[in-house]
Amino acid sequence: MDLLKIENITKRYSAHTALDDVSLSVPRGSIYGLLGPNGAGKTTLIRVINRITLPDAGRVIFDGHEITDQDIYQIGYLPEERGLYKKMKVGEQAIFFAQLKGLSRREAIARLKEWFVRMGIESWWNRKVEDLSKGMAQKVQFITTVLHEPKLLIFDEPFSGFDPINANILKQEILRLRDKGATVIFSTHNMSSVEEICDHITLINKSRNILSGSVEEVRRRFGENVFEVTYSGQADTFEQAMQPVAEMLSSSAVADSPYTCSRIRIKDTASVRDSITVANEAVELRSFREVIPSMNDIFIRAVEGTL
Amino acid sequence: MKKIGIIIAREFNERVRKKSFIITTILMPLLMLGLMAAPSLMMLFATGDQKTLLVIDESGAVAQKLESNDEVVFTPFAGSLDEARANEEVFGVLWIGRDVVATPSQVRLYTNSSSSLTLEESIAAQIEDVVESERLKMYNIEGLEDIMNNLQTSVSMSTYRNDLSAEGEDEEATSSMVAYLLGLVLGMMLYMFLIIYGSMVMTSVIEEKGSRVLDVLVSSVSPFQLMMGKILGIASVAVTQVAIWGVLICGLGATVLPALMPTDVMQTMEAIEAGQMTALEADMDADMLSALSMATDIPQLVMMFVWLLLFLVGGFLFYSAMFAAVGSSVDSIQDASQLQTPITMPIILALILAMSVFNDPNSSLAFWGSVIPLTSPVVMMARIPFGIPTWQIVLSLILLYISVVGMAWAAGKIYRVGIFMHGKKPSYKELWQWLKQ
Repeated sequence: MDLLKIENITKRYSAHTALDDVSLSVPRGSIYGLLGPNGAGKTTLIRVINRITLPDAGRVIFDGHEITDQDIYQIGYLPEERGLYKKMKVGEQAIFFAQLKGLSRREAIARLKEWFVRMGIESWWNRKVEDLSKGMAQKVQFITTVLHEPKLLIFDEPFSGFDPINANILKQEILRLRDKGATVIFSTHNMSSVEEICDHITLINKSRNILSGSVEEVRRRFGENVFEVTYSGQADTFEQAMQPVAEMLSSSAVADSPYTCSRIRIKDTASVRDSITVANEAVELRSFREVIPSMNDIFIRAVEGTL
Repeated sequence: MKKIGIIIAREFNERVRKKSFIITTILMPLLMLGLMAAPSLMMLFATGDQKTLLVIDESGAVAQKLESNDEVVFTPFAGSLDEARANEEVFGVLWIGRDVVATPSQVRLYTNSSSSLTLEESIAAQIEDVVESERLKMYNIEGLEDIMNNLQTSVSMSTYRNDLSAEGEDEEATSSMVAYLLGLVLGMMLYMFLIIYGSMVMTSVIEEKGSRVLDVLVSSVSPFQLMMGKILGIASVAVTQVAIWGVLICGLGATVLPALMPTDVMQTMEAIEAGQMTALEADMDADMLSALSMATDIPQLVMMFVWLLLFLVGGFLFYSAMFAAVGSSVDSIQDASQLQTPITMPIILALILAMSVFNDPNSSLAFWGSVIPLTSPVVMMARIPFGIPTWQIVLSLILLYISVVGMAWAAGKIYRVGIFMHGKKPSYKELWQWLKQ
């Protein structure tokens, strides 16, 4: 069942339309990528989910019912623009944000101590935020976002400002939260992180949902019948043999081995099976696999309208 | 409501724990009391050693009538002036010429060190009195002494308010001078609180917006709750400060002040308060007495503080909502300066009105100024010490608190849009559009 359903949301501002009839569903327990170029309407959509702004039309269904103010206790939101009170001490500040999310002071302190130990930052408790580096402040902010163990977590560019080691710690924590039952919405421009951890994506461009689905499904849909073939034999021989069924795109010798690697696009008139048969007779095959486009390629092609 | 409470608590704790808050809160009343007590303290410590003056009176009429006091002791001296001047152990020599009654300029003071203006004036005054009475004696008027005693007077006017003593109470003396000073202090205080604490709200909103804490906060609380939490939090800081001042001043007024005053003054005052004596009989300055009785009259002081707090909170809520709206719509304090002009103008206008109130606390200008919410907090506080009808104060409060609700609503609408706007400083027209959204 879906934890969150967005149904035909429209939001207009005086000068422009930020969201135009956007629908999507986020399956429970998934990591859902919300993609799109700058200014596409992602932040507005997140604000609608958070009930910061109310939509002009459409509904948000959360956990089976139309979302209410009480549900925001079940949401944790890490905005792209991070912010903490500079003059406040780290511990007190974290307690403050936790209390706003409905935790009692005692509960907040207990959970915070646990998180601080796990992230290795327990010595920061009494330090002021202005004394922390940007990455350190990001860690604190991450903890305040997830501390109340919400059902839905929304991260806007969570990895920006982190070094690779800390980014990896953060990734592990996000996956751990997902395994504990949280659903994660993940807004980002970083396509490699989408491929690594997202199950589903939605691509928003110019206020509209232009692409939705599971990552595998989307990538397959964008596959263009391109295959990569590795074999031992001559590239020329291979190209000649394949001519009736496929077009040769590129060829290169695999370094330090007797093999050649070629990319071919199978013609619409031929099947994959025929192609393999032909190739198998022409050369000695090592591998034959489909080339699936990267999310990066899909993103660019989708946004530029060359679908 | 619980969330507003959490926000109020944060605002309050962050500010009250600051060193600057603690210092101003404690030092301010001490400073004020120090200023008030300075004259009596100076009297206490200034009367140092007595000064001895050798008096050479060639006229023979003055010397025996000079009265020694705490400051100066007159010692008749029979020798010559030069002998007297050679004596360096005394403070100096007072020489009075033979024809001093006819020619009063025949008085000279030789001193071994610098003398003071007050000393010279008191000696001159004594000699003047002697010369005056000697001259009078020459007219040979019968019963002169009685006539003189009867003539001596100093007018001390007491003002009574018919409207205030109508309820069968004892007649209450009022003093315009005391009311003026008190009104000035209260009006100025309101003015300063509105400006200082109001811009504190604005600065704080700008900081939250600039540091993007707002983006995080609004995912937990509504913008309106956030704005009200901040305003109420800072209001409670202001109230705390005034309350501490109130307690300190009342407490010191009840304990320290009577101790500092000479006992006869206090006894007279107690007698007046008990109705055994009027200020006229007491032969004391009415302004002084009513100032003293006000400073030690705890119920009246408390009432004054209650009004002060009510107008302070109302005025603060009214203006800080506007300050919050301006703060939400800009990115920096520099950008705010132009937008906040329409807010600070009425506060300054209120102070100017308050100044004119002192001339006539019951003019229609004073009345309307103290009833219309934009200026009412400052102007009304300046009027209250003059003793105005309670219905006017209540009316003013009701209007003020109604407009507070309206202002909070309007400011909330601007705030809600403003906190997400970054970049260009909005124009008044844009603010108006946000308000209508």
